[in-house]
Amino acid sequence: MKFLWTLAAKNLFRNRLRSIVSIIAIAISVMVVVFARGLVTGFIDSTFSLYIKYDTGHIKVVNQEYRQKERLFSLNYPVDGFNGEGLTSMIKKLEGVEGIEMAVPRIKFGAMASTDDDLITMLGWGVDPAKESKFTGIEKQLVEGRMIRPGEKEILLGKGLLKKLNRQVGDKVTILYNTSFNSFKGATLRIAGVIESGMPLLNDTIFYLPLDIAQELLIMPDQATEVLLVTPNAKEAAAFYPGVKELFTAEGAEERYSVEPWNKANSVLEYMQVAIRIYDVIYVFLVLLASIVVINTMVMIVKERTREIGMMTALGLQSRDILKLFIMEGTVMGITGSLLGAVLGGIVTRVLSVNGFDYSAIVSGMGDEFLMNPIIYPTFSVTHMIYGFLLGVIVTAVTCIIPARRAARLEPSEALREF
Amino acid sequence: MALLELKGVEKIYQQGKIEVPALRGIDLIVEKGEFTTIFGPSGSGKTTLLNMIGCLDKPTKGEIYFDGQELGDLSKKELALIRRHNIGFIFQSYNLIPVLSAYENVEFAIRLTDGRTESEMRKKVLDILEAVGLAGLEDRRPNELSGGQKQRVAIARALVKEPKLVLADEPTANLDSKTSDEVLEIMVRMNQQLGTTFIFSTHDPQVMEYAGRLIEIRDGKVSREKKGEDIRVHH
Repeated sequence: MKFLWTLAAKNLFRNRLRSIVSIIAIAISVMVVVFARGLVTGFIDSTFSLYIKYDTGHIKVVNQEYRQKERLFSLNYPVDGFNGEGLTSMIKKLEGVEGIEMAVPRIKFGAMASTDDDLITMLGWGVDPAKESKFTGIEKQLVEGRMIRPGEKEILLGKGLLKKLNRQVGDKVTILYNTSFNSFKGATLRIAGVIESGMPLLNDTIFYLPLDIAQELLIMPDQATEVLLVTPNAKEAAAFYPGVKELFTAEGAEERYSVEPWNKANSVLEYMQVAIRIYDVIYVFLVLLASIVVINTMVMIVKERTREIGMMTALGLQSRDILKLFIMEGTVMGITGSLLGAVLGGIVTRVLSVNGFDYSAIVSGMGDEFLMNPIIYPTFSVTHMIYGFLLGVIVTAVTCIIPARRAARLEPSEALREF
Repeated sequence: MALLELKGVEKIYQQGKIEVPALRGIDLIVEKGEFTTIFGPSGSGKTTLLNMIGCLDKPTKGEIYFDGQELGDLSKKELALIRRHNIGFIFQSYNLIPVLSAYENVEFAIRLTDGRTESEMRKKVLDILEAVGLAGLEDRRPNELSGGQKQRVAIARALVKEPKLVLADEPTANLDSKTSDEVLEIMVRMNQQLGTTFIFSTHDPQVMEYAGRLIEIRDGKVSREKKGEDIRVHH
């Protein structure tokens, strides 16, 4: 068997240009697969991370009714604790569940502010400043001023919103909102700081204010619209989810509250998980496309070497040996091309994983519906290189069966007559 | 016992709806150690007959016995195993593998057979290459060898596994007369030294001079047969 491998490898040097073209085709496709996988993983990981931070947490707790009407930011269906005992007590109990590092409460509500000639629509997020900083790292995005403090009537907002409001740090701004009793009110708050994230939602739409101030203004004592539970990491969230559910059952609150892990709490994330599987199929087709070049090469090789196949059959090689020999020859091309492609793909991904891809022009035009980082860093991973390599080798080897079968089916006496 | 026995062998090729008879009832016995030449004009059926004898093709009708075994009922795999262990082939156009050296081309044939150690195989290959006069040229590739040298490699490849039968189809057709003589002398020497049975096809009178037995084929039938001194007298 070893000598057949040696022969297969040596045969690559018969028509170097043709072999090189085939190898390059495989190398390019594998390189694209490795890079695309890194890019998609980088994009999805970063998007998942954003959704976890700003929407779902690792486990999201909201009122069942609120879940149905989440887009309306209704304040009538709050998270107000188990059996009406209040949010603070509920958070304490949730943080006592194994694996739950932190319970982050938020009140999300719609608000407006007027400038000289415009009415600006905004989203207010009442947050616990310490927990929010720890969970989302929002404080690190400060470009001016400071983080908001509990008990202070102040806000933190994005650079874009600050510009729209035509204000500066330290200025006051009057915001208009509906309370939980649906009465239309206004409040004047001081701008404590400005953040810059590049994301339209944070930059142009949201302003943060301390949770206690939001509760006071919106008349939501010891309440929130959502509580996000934080586990050590997203992958482990599912393991701690049953413990959380048990608590809600024990407290008789499983019907009142919707408790969902991050990957179920937002449909965008569910679609993206489907997208990962679709991409895997696309990768196979990509390599399959490149292997057409190899099939073409192999068909030509079989045609050219018909007499040689006849000779080898005459020497006693069986049809299955001929089949193996040609599959081996294609596989050697597949191995060489895939190895080259995996290494090149790895290098390109590694370089771009440091510098990133600037998507800010696209992101700025996307609106605040979709959370996406303006700079995507492809994920460099040896697993992606191994995946690309194996995909290249397997697809090439399998597709080579077609021309190899043709060679194996040749009748020796007819093959020897071929000129 | 005869090495080869053909009884009423016929071969008909189907070309579309037309039947083309290539062999029309060949009866032939070849004894072990014979040096037989099959001659005849182009299209007479020489190559077809060699293909039948060499287990490369099956007759449409008739029986072929190789070393006492009837070939008609054997599967493709069984025929391949007979070729692998018992039959060596020499072709007009050498059919060497261009990416392999002379040594590797010969080694290719012996590697297909079982039961030999690496060192035994190496010794066999080197010995046979020396026997055909190619000592020192083992590492040369076919494109670095002359026509005669290439055919010597092909002879070495055919003989290295010590087959019972060597079939040569027009082995000197691509060689000049001097080189043809050299190649034929090697084959005669191998026939005498190893006792290997040789059957080769040709229409070259020079080749016939070396034959121990001449069989003429015309229109798919044995038309004449000569042995020993008769051959020399008539040519």
